[in-house]
Amino acid sequence: MSAVLRTLHPAPSPAELAGVWRADQLAQAAQATLPSGHAVLDAELPGGGWPLGQLSEVLQAQSGLHEWRLLLPALQVAAQRGPLVLVGAPHLPHLPVLASLGIAPERVLRIDARTPAERLWVAEQALRCKELGALLAWLPQVRTEQLRRLQLAAQGSPAVQAAAFVLRPLTAQHESSPAPLRVAVQSGQGTQLALQLLKRRGPLREQPLALDAPLPVLAALKPARGRTTEPNHAVDRPARDRIRQLTAA
Amino acid sequence: MLWIALRATASASSPPHDAAHPAPEQLALAWWALQFSPRVCVVQEAVLLEVHDSLRLFGGQRALLQRVRSEAAQQGASALAVAPTALAALALLRTLPVVAQAEESAKISEPLSPIPAKSCTPAALQRTLDALPIEVLSATHPHAPTLQRLGCRTLGQLRALPRGGVSRRFGAALLEALDRAYGLRPDALEWLTLPEAFSARLEFAGRIEVAEGLLFGARRLLAQLGAWLQARQRGVVALALHWEYDLVRRGDASNGSLHIRTAEATRDLVHLTRLLGEHLARVTLSAPVVAIRLEAPQTEALATQSISLLPEDLREGETLQQFIERVSVRLGAERVLRGQLVADHRPQHMQRWQPAATTPAPTRKSKAKLPPHLRLHPPWLLREPLRLAVQGERPIYQGPLTLLAGPERLESGWWSLLSSAEAEGQELALRDYFVARSPHAGLLWVYRRRSAGEPAWFLQGVYG
Repeated sequence: MSAVLRTLHPAPSPAELAGVWRADQLAQAAQATLPSGHAVLDAELPGGGWPLGQLSEVLQAQSGLHEWRLLLPALQVAAQRGPLVLVGAPHLPHLPVLASLGIAPERVLRIDARTPAERLWVAEQALRCKELGALLAWLPQVRTEQLRRLQLAAQGSPAVQAAAFVLRPLTAQHESSPAPLRVAVQSGQGTQLALQLLKRRGPLREQPLALDAPLPVLAALKPARGRTTEPNHAVDRPARDRIRQLTAA
Repeated sequence: MLWIALRATASASSPPHDAAHPAPEQLALAWWALQFSPRVCVVQEAVLLEVHDSLRLFGGQRALLQRVRSEAAQQGASALAVAPTALAALALLRTLPVVAQAEESAKISEPLSPIPAKSCTPAALQRTLDALPIEVLSATHPHAPTLQRLGCRTLGQLRALPRGGVSRRFGAALLEALDRAYGLRPDALEWLTLPEAFSARLEFAGRIEVAEGLLFGARRLLAQLGAWLQARQRGVVALALHWEYDLVRRGDASNGSLHIRTAEATRDLVHLTRLLGEHLARVTLSAPVVAIRLEAPQTEALATQSISLLPEDLREGETLQQFIERVSVRLGAERVLRGQLVADHRPQHMQRWQPAATTPAPTRKSKAKLPPHLRLHPPWLLREPLRLAVQGERPIYQGPLTLLAGPERLESGWWSLLSSAEAEGQELALRDYFVARSPHAGLLWVYRRRSAGEPAWFLQGVYG
């Protein structure tokens, strides 16, 4: 009897059901994703990139340490679709540098919201805007239910191609969060980034990923790894070959 | 002649209308009706339009009535009646029950036995009108008790009375109204014209004490503004809301006002309502308010976008400009900023941040060629350079710094000193920029200031 039932109604595979995945496999995301630009990271993220229409949490020791290195390739693509909204940024974005790195300066919108309530309100309103390209919100103090509200706003957002990143301190890794993707970033060996996937729609990964996220200055500094002596500060003697290397890059 | 009579849903809080000041809903309905015919007038509680000459343009009587029926409900009309003469249409309209508030179902009530107006013979019109009670003709209202005592209940009985006696007893006005209703005399009504500038006043039945209470009345006036903008094909750029205080209790306070500007011409009433709500949230009224007036001092011709058939173009949600305006109202315009590149060699002057609500987005991408060495500068810049403590000869920021590359010498612009009066001793100093590594803060961009005295170290940027 049960065999007849099974052939009459074959059970749908998890790939066909939205929101269902096997615990030992990466979820095949039904919604679009934004390629992160780092091949090592894309292989470990469900859908092959940062999820669109959902919150992605990035935890780091201090705000301002690793955002551009981690998110720059994805933000280059997102800024072409719509404005990049920065809510509560710790420092000023240096627009000419961002322009030379691929993000147009007229696409950057900086909102100087100071209190946590203002930042949450602005982030929610940004997610209601249908022309949003990407949202970066620095939320050092936020509760789980407030994040849940932001997650619902991101899911119901009319901007279907918008990526939403919430940047929080590393101490928040022990709190629960409704974001479907949580990532902790620290500086790794040498100039690499050590990225730990705290939460994703897929199997648990214990070892951190080593990302080679480079900024152009790091390429210029590479031969300097072997230096053991420091320039003598008492005498102002500029290192001429260093300048030549820097300006030639 | 084909007359359509429409009645707007009256709001419960409005005072009874008078002829000189029609309610804002009535005016909004009248201005909307101007698209069907230039002959629109407002008579007491109804809006009358004569559409005989527009029948051909709109594809016949049936098509036109279908369209009016479907669209009038959205504009706030609750009842519709059609007749060959104006007063007959008004009379038929008055037989319908009054709906106090706008209902969600948005159905227009119509008389159960409508007159087929196009092929209406005078006999058919007479038969229908004869059955109506006399209250539907407003010319009978002053003589209602006398007519009751006479036993005159319907218009047919009134018409049967001898004409000479009626005109001697009740005046010629009643006879003239009767003739106009039955089509024996031509109608002469004053047509409505669309004003050049929008200015609407609304008086409250009670007194408003709290600023948020003004929003209810302002919403009705905004609906009227929307109808005016639609008829004129314009969008509003500047809006002014004035309120008048109660004369008796106002003391020294003069009438208040509120001005809103939008960066681009808009007709979106939801957005304007929200903006007005945000502004009113910060207003405190010093006395009870008795009336408000809404004006649109500046409007622009608006080109509307045609609706696309593709579903992905029909996304709901607000546009970027509306988002910027709303956040600017709540936080302040100087906290929502858009940057602009400036040709300068000093890092902190290479960009200028301006309020996004007042500066429009540049339509063309800036094609300025940036110097290639900018790729090596940090993406984060501190708002003010941070002075670093020095231990021995090394600066310290979350650990002793290791200098990795540099120096890059930048001199400041001497021309800025002439214009600014601030005694910026360090402006003329030379700065040597280095890339340094801190044990806990990653790569930093620091500079050493060479001025008279000790060299001082500052942190300017973070490579993040």
